[in-house]
Amino acid sequence: MAKKNAKEFNFKLYAVAVFFAVLAALVAITYSTYTARYIALHPDRVAENFVDTVVQNGDGYNAYKTTVASKNMKYGDFIRKYYMNPLIFRDEAYTPGTPTDAMTGYNDDSFKGEKSLNDDGTLQGQLIDRMYPLYEELVSENGWDNYDKIYTEYFDELIKARKEIYGDDYLSDEVMFTVLEANVLTYGQTLTGTEDTFDENTGIQLTKKQEGVYQKLFGEDYKLTVKAENEKAIELSDWLASTDEAALETYGIKADDVKEAKSFDVTVCSGDEKIATVTVTVVKIKSSWYVDNTVTDTSALYEFYEIG
Amino acid sequence: MNDGANKKYMKKSEIVTFGIGLFGVALLTGWMPDYTATFFADFAFKGKGFDSDTMSGIISTVFLVAGIVGAVCELVIGYLVDNTKTKFGKVKPWVGFGVVPLALISMLVFVAPNTNNQTVAIIWMFVIYSLYTAFCCAVESPANCFGSLCSPNPSERSSAISIASFLRSVGQSGGMVVILVVGLIMKAVMGQQQFKNAEAQGLDLIISTAVCALGIILFTMIFFVNNKERVPFTQEKVSLKDAVKVVFTNKNLLMVSLTKLTGCGRGVYGTVSLYIAVFLLGSKDLKLALLLPMGIGTAVGTLLVNFVLKKFNTKQTFILFCVYGASSLAILFLVSRGIGFNDGLIIPFLILNFFCGLQHGNTNVTPNIMIADCVDEIEYKTGKRQEGLAYAGYGLFSKVASALTKGFGPWLLYTWSGYAVSTNASVAYAQQTDGTLNKLLMIYTIIPAVFVVLQAVPIFFYDMVGEKKERIIKELIARREANGEAKSEG
Repeated sequence: MAKKNAKEFNFKLYAVAVFFAVLAALVAITYSTYTARYIALHPDRVAENFVDTVVQNGDGYNAYKTTVASKNMKYGDFIRKYYMNPLIFRDEAYTPGTPTDAMTGYNDDSFKGEKSLNDDGTLQGQLIDRMYPLYEELVSENGWDNYDKIYTEYFDELIKARKEIYGDDYLSDEVMFTVLEANVLTYGQTLTGTEDTFDENTGIQLTKKQEGVYQKLFGEDYKLTVKAENEKAIELSDWLASTDEAALETYGIKADDVKEAKSFDVTVCSGDEKIATVTVTVVKIKSSWYVDNTVTDTSALYEFYEIG
Repeated sequence: MNDGANKKYMKKSEIVTFGIGLFGVALLTGWMPDYTATFFADFAFKGKGFDSDTMSGIISTVFLVAGIVGAVCELVIGYLVDNTKTKFGKVKPWVGFGVVPLALISMLVFVAPNTNNQTVAIIWMFVIYSLYTAFCCAVESPANCFGSLCSPNPSERSSAISIASFLRSVGQSGGMVVILVVGLIMKAVMGQQQFKNAEAQGLDLIISTAVCALGIILFTMIFFVNNKERVPFTQEKVSLKDAVKVVFTNKNLLMVSLTKLTGCGRGVYGTVSLYIAVFLLGSKDLKLALLLPMGIGTAVGTLLVNFVLKKFNTKQTFILFCVYGASSLAILFLVSRGIGFNDGLIIPFLILNFFCGLQHGNTNVTPNIMIADCVDEIEYKTGKRQEGLAYAGYGLFSKVASALTKGFGPWLLYTWSGYAVSTNASVAYAQQTDGTLNKLLMIYTIIPAVFVVLQAVPIFFYDMVGEKKERIIKELIARREANGEAKSEG
């Protein structure tokens, strides 16, 4: 009897039904979560995220990761291609996009001197400290909209500074990114301030408390909020007239790729006080939205404070 | 042994589909803990402005509470499994029906509420992960004890458990492959930078979880359709109190479970593996290169145990592998000390790492076979068959041992070794003294070796082998045949 009852339950049918029912449920959950969380599908959040990245830490560098500059390649690869490789392979016939595998650049270990080989991080720390004033000067003066000027002047100086400290000509993208990103971090900490932090296991002090520029301006427990408002659809012909087509080409984007353009007024507030407003233009390519950095002016985000 | 004991009961495909089922379960349960922690800490409430110190502390507590929930659920589910009597068997319904809510709850762990209220966020983490843990126990525990029910023939049962354990150990690392493949596909579809942006929002984790959740459904359904329970369950009702007593009073079962406690420090190598990768191999990204030879060694070891078990009994096999394991770790230590921390050590270290991994095959397979034998012994003594509780008891000890390892490992690393933390924001890992490097090596080798020896100690008191085991199996088969005849006459 028990055997007969067991046969009545169709295991195969149950298995197939469960598989497709759960597949449908998982697809629905994943799709809804993905569309809700993925910022690039929401033009207002793309604009907000861009401004938020700049304003919270003065970090115009990382903000480029949500712009058209990063549409077709990793932002780091864009910097390598146009600003690092021309310096690393300066003795070779390098032009942006040329494969470097067969080239000998200054990233070859043979260019490393004794100090490079034996550095335990101390000299690297000196190089980072040496470069910071220039970084601060470039960003305070121009913001990050003119990234070409920042990368060009900063890396030119980096080559000289590194040679003075290490005594050799070695230069790699890793060196350049490490120093630049350490300066980006320090700039951010200058704005936000730092706390006393200790390693929980050894008790060693990791950072010292330091009042940031924002804390002086808005109070110790300040909170900057960012809101995108005043959404405006832009005619594609108007957008095309205003954008920098040559820059778009360096990003591998054709004007035809853009299907929609919009602008938002993104306001930064400390409490109820408005401290800056920037108009951010976003464009839709396929299903994702990107900030058009060629027409977005972020200078207001660097002008409401002074460093030093 | 009589013919009944040597008779083959399982189709070849059943042995494979049992393994496929365990592979599917391990695919999801191996994925969840680490990636849930990452998701909760880094992505679930990104940009909400919650206090990061509070959240870090809470996440540890979430896992502690889930561990307690898991330990309680192990026993409760074990008890419920033993009291499940359906036309499909006692274990299959838990796996076949329980896997549906488990897959959905796992997915929901990665669907964080869009809230700006930190309290709501914290409550959600506790509730959703505890729910996951409970459903996980309801499927994983019964799936693990299916081995003792798949065949009354101990030899056939051992082979099935051995192959299934191999596939389970492969499944536990399956999530690493899933996230790799998901990442590659996302990169191809979205482009490099957009993938990085999506990764920064935890979207690759969400998609990978969906893949693993679908995987558990697919693989356990294959098992559910093809596999049968062949050891008849007993009809007596057992109280929870009496049932729990079984776990602690059956000497052999207790000894097998105790191996988990006495060997709890075996896993501390995992705590230090990142630093071995940094200071020995030169980059933290090479942690996978370090763990891969050991992982391959574990998989090979799982198959190797099956061959050793044909020559030796379970007790001898367990002790043999423990002696081998401790020796291989000691050799790794001596070779490393001899060569020193330099580039010349990398290749010998990785090769020896493979040989050290072989011992883990033993701990994946042999205890499961021993527990199946203990279930027979308990049935022989009490007339009651309690797979659910026997495996749950072992699971309970495993969870306690895992908690001890998680406390002991960081203490060894950060306190005992004298590890120096970098104070320079631009230097990730500070230079370590030779003394500290040697202690890091000891945490990876000698200290686990000591615990490998200790885990063998309880097995010296294990005696469900040889003539005793044969006698019990014969008696049980005779009893079942008598019961069958009595029923057919009735």
